[in-house]
Amino acid sequence: MACGGGRGCVALRGAQIRDLLDAKHNVLFDCDGVIWNGETAVTGAPEVVSLLKQRGKRVFFVTNNCTRPRENYVQKFSRLGFADVAEEEIFSSAYCSAAYLRDVARLRGKVYVIGCGGVMKELRDAGVPVAEEEDAEPGASIYTCPLDPDVKAVLVGYDENFTFMKLAKACCYLRNSECLFLATDPDPWHPLRGGRVTPGSGSLTAALETASSRKATVIGKPSCFMFDCIASQFGVDPAHSLMIGDRLETDVLFGSNCGLTTVLTLTGVSTLQEALAYRDSQEPQQKNCAPDYVMESVADFLQALED
Amino acid sequence: MAASKCTRLTGALSRQLLDSVDSVLFDCDGVIWRGDQAIPGAPDVINSLKKNGKRVFFVTNNSTKTRQMYAEKLGKLGFDASADEVFGTAYCSAVYLKNVCKLDGKVYLIGSNAMRQELEDVGIRPVGVGPDPISGVQKDWANVPLDNEVRAVLVGFDEHFSYMKLNRALQYLCNPDCQFVGTNTDTRLPLEGGKAVPGTGCLLRAVETAAQRQAEVVGKPSNFMFECVAGQFGLDPERCLMVGDRLDTDIMLGSNCGLKTLLTLTGVSTVAEAEANQKSECPHRQKMVPDYYIESIADILPALQA
Repeated sequence: MACGGGRGCVALRGAQIRDLLDAKHNVLFDCDGVIWNGETAVTGAPEVVSLLKQRGKRVFFVTNNCTRPRENYVQKFSRLGFADVAEEEIFSSAYCSAAYLRDVARLRGKVYVIGCGGVMKELRDAGVPVAEEEDAEPGASIYTCPLDPDVKAVLVGYDENFTFMKLAKACCYLRNSECLFLATDPDPWHPLRGGRVTPGSGSLTAALETASSRKATVIGKPSCFMFDCIASQFGVDPAHSLMIGDRLETDVLFGSNCGLTTVLTLTGVSTLQEALAYRDSQEPQQKNCAPDYVMESVADFLQALED
Repeated sequence: MAASKCTRLTGALSRQLLDSVDSVLFDCDGVIWRGDQAIPGAPDVINSLKKNGKRVFFVTNNSTKTRQMYAEKLGKLGFDASADEVFGTAYCSAVYLKNVCKLDGKVYLIGSNAMRQELEDVGIRPVGVGPDPISGVQKDWANVPLDNEVRAVLVGFDEHFSYMKLNRALQYLCNPDCQFVGTNTDTRLPLEGGKAVPGTGCLLRAVETAAQRQAEVVGKPSNFMFECVAGQFGLDPERCLMVGDRLDTDIMLGSNCGLKTLLTLTGVSTVAEAEANQKSECPHRQKMVPDYYIESIADILPALQA
């Protein structure tokens, strides 16, 4: 391998940064905690993205956040000062879940969705039929859920309107072993501003897995599907690709699983201490959560890019 | 030891077994009733046991009824029973929070009115019961107003479970000093009217996953359910029989507490599953092998009436 690393949490600085960038044609960025935090861009991030593209690198954004459709992400990029980020460069778990259902599962039927507006929009845009949620009739009970016979898949993601009724309905559909069971992402909680958290898709998926005694196929990081999605559209070679993220158990593990070189940035969820603990662990699965490199912030790339 | 287990309970053995115990603990769903129907012969069995001088208790993971509500259901179905003989998880969770957690303050409750009632009866104030739909936007949710007297989160069966409730529980549980208790881990409700409905275990898993914390679980197979009964009635485990339909809750509880165990086949588990556990080398599975099994508890009746 051109660049060491070896899951060693090597602090990335100076000439090393230039060498790393020279060896990698494609740079994949997680979003939350890497290039922005909430509605604030990480200082220097817009410049880094711009300069990478000027240097001929291909840049992709890979996010487990399924709450927005891609066109909303394009607007957010623009709002936060990132110039010319195209919809095609954005791979969200909502977009990839729709792509999976359409292209991999080749779904012939409807999908029952526990999810938010962002997921619904991507499914509609991909032409995947969604089972309509009827308004709860008075007297509707968890013991009598009217089922749509055309439902051939259940997709669970972040849903602020999650209710027991939805859980019961999804569980009924999943009793048919032919019905697919997908989850947008496994994140148990999502960070909000100021170190606060909110329950994530992973917690809703856990409820449904427990109810149905089935395991969901997870689309988002650390599963490789989002990388497969990028590779199938853009012919991306893992050996020449860099994954930059802030969450060891999702971004870094994703990078490891897909054969990418991984960089942890310390502007988000995970800490250097946690990275070192994974590095020193004896268990292979834990070791895969250790990044090759660590940097304080993506702004550290600027010194190498600005000459 | 293994060789003497998983024996079919026949007439003579029934007599012997009953003579060797003073108290019989029954699970409810799948053992003495199914939904709102008594298992045929079950009321006669319970009533005869009492006439024979045995003490009878009812031990259930179901958190949706108070002891009083159970007593009413038992009465309606022909069982001679009183509220203080019933140990459901609504009651036992309240006792657990009071006596084991030594809770001094309020509890954020994801659960039923029955749970709220049992908590209030032991002097604990619950908050949060009832519908709780989402409002506001994402950035508001981490800032939901928290009651600073809440010292514990308790999760039981709640058909009003929602994202907002999950969120509130998470916010409370971000404080490591906030205690975390669940009534039980059963993944499905028993078949009320024939449909399997997601159980408390699902709701608890959602909260545990979001909070990245494990709850202390009160219900079977946790020993606490037996300790609760034994503590109030001075029971000797060796003179107790646990009768249940589930190997992973009822029989496991019996094994862990040193009770004699009887599996009835009117509910969830089968003899084949019990025998597979018996043959396995796994110590955990060995605890899910009953001493005896019987088609239905009604089959004990002849031995009682002899």
